[in-house]
Amino acid sequence: MPLLELRNVASYYGNVQALKGVSLRVEQGELVTLLGANGAGKSTTLKTISGLVVPAQGEVLFEGKPVQKLGPEAIARLGISHVPEGRRIFPGLTVRENILLGASNRKGVPRRQLEEEADEKFTIFPEIKPFENALGWTLSGGQQQMLAVARGLMARPKLLLLDEPSLGLAPLIVQNLFGTIRKIRAAGTTILLVEQNANMALSVADRGYVLETGSLTVEGTPQELLGNEEVRAAYLGGHHG
Amino acid sequence: MQFVTENLQILFTGLGLGSIYALVALGFVLIIRATNVVNFAQGDFAMLGGYAMVLFFTGLGWPYWIAFIGALLAMAVFGVLFNYGVYYPLRHRSFLPVLISTLGASIFLQNTVLYVAGPQPKPLDKLLNFDGITLGGVFLDSQYIVILVATVALVFFTFLFFEKTLLGKKLQATSQDKDMARLLGIPVALMIAITFIYSAVLGGIAGVLVGPILFVSIGMGSIIALKAFAATIIGGFGDVKGAIVGGLLLGVIESLAAQHISVPYKDAYAFLALFLFLLFRPQGIFGEKVSEKA
Repeated sequence: MPLLELRNVASYYGNVQALKGVSLRVEQGELVTLLGANGAGKSTTLKTISGLVVPAQGEVLFEGKPVQKLGPEAIARLGISHVPEGRRIFPGLTVRENILLGASNRKGVPRRQLEEEADEKFTIFPEIKPFENALGWTLSGGQQQMLAVARGLMARPKLLLLDEPSLGLAPLIVQNLFGTIRKIRAAGTTILLVEQNANMALSVADRGYVLETGSLTVEGTPQELLGNEEVRAAYLGGHHG
Repeated sequence: MQFVTENLQILFTGLGLGSIYALVALGFVLIIRATNVVNFAQGDFAMLGGYAMVLFFTGLGWPYWIAFIGALLAMAVFGVLFNYGVYYPLRHRSFLPVLISTLGASIFLQNTVLYVAGPQPKPLDKLLNFDGITLGGVFLDSQYIVILVATVALVFFTFLFFEKTLLGKKLQATSQDKDMARLLGIPVALMIAITFIYSAVLGGIAGVLVGPILFVSIGMGSIIALKAFAATIIGGFGDVKGAIVGGLLLGVIESLAAQHISVPYKDAYAFLALFLFLLFRPQGIFGEKVSEKA
């Protein structure tokens, strides 16, 4: 049984159909990436999984159970942590407070334990440790992205949804961040990664899907996708390799 | 010397009245931050708190403290009803339908109380059984002392609650980004209900505190709410510190101006101050110059 399975999911934004029958699966322990151009429906796919968008049709199965009727709070409690596009740091809370609130989906964990877990996150992301008492809005884009991932990990997710973590970051910081994503995966967290930076995403993924205007077109291992002429032309700049 | 004691006396009275504005303004701001809506029934929370106290203490003859706690519990229950009756059904709409809903609630509440309790203002006993103390020529009325002490305690408690507890942080997170709060598993609807309960209780306390000074009346909430609203703008719209400082400042301005300029225009000075702020410092004392948040 896959950890996550989408069966023929269709979602709308108002009157616009953003997803047209998407079916995909993520196995336990996998790192799967979802590639595609701007507006292809990548973010909508993640929002449909985490409950921010309710699908008009189809099923979202998490650990074999349908979750497409549940709200985001309930889905978070099942163990899906969504780190959305744009980081969405709480601007008026400190870095440490942002991280602590990441565990809001877990009931009855004592404050002291949460503080210890927050300290662990600072060892994964030492760059943001000096700013632990600074307000969220004061961080740079790269620091906010690390904070967003750290906060997402506080949920102790069975499945981590990462939406465009490289967006707007300098190449060196992207390298660093993807190194950390690799480590998170190695520590046993299943990840569904949405990226426009296809080279970077395929360098860490086990499998990938390509989404085009609301439909999945290609699926395969990184080698298969890198070898596919159309995919290379569309998402890898054409001259790769 | 005469001049100094006289003005100290006025300052004391102004701070007492200002505390009431500050408490109601604090309730305003908490709801604005959680829901982006100005609650036009905020003043009626004070009015209801006052009437609950009159009912329990004067009407039913309960001991003062029991009646006070009863009034607070009644306001907490009312906060729940208000949340689910006035705000919750419209929570996915823009701010305007919700604002109108609170305006309707205000009219409904005032007329319901008018129907039940009649138009006569009700007197309410002071908390303490003595008139007050004289300190260096300044007479400190016992009820004003109670108001000041209670306000300091409530502001301190509010600070601890919002800044030191995880629940307070979740309430803040909800007011800053609802969708993100939901993604983290924070029960947003519950957080907003808690905000309404807290605001209703704060307003109710203000009503019980000011009752012995102004009498408990149907219209008491309206004038307090208008001034508290002016206080939130003067302090910096949506700013917690601003609400408290703005409220105290308005109370003092009003009392000083009434003494030194003219008493009949007492209620106008708060709005004169508001005009001056809107002209020269529209962002308020603590506000930042931002027109619209993204």
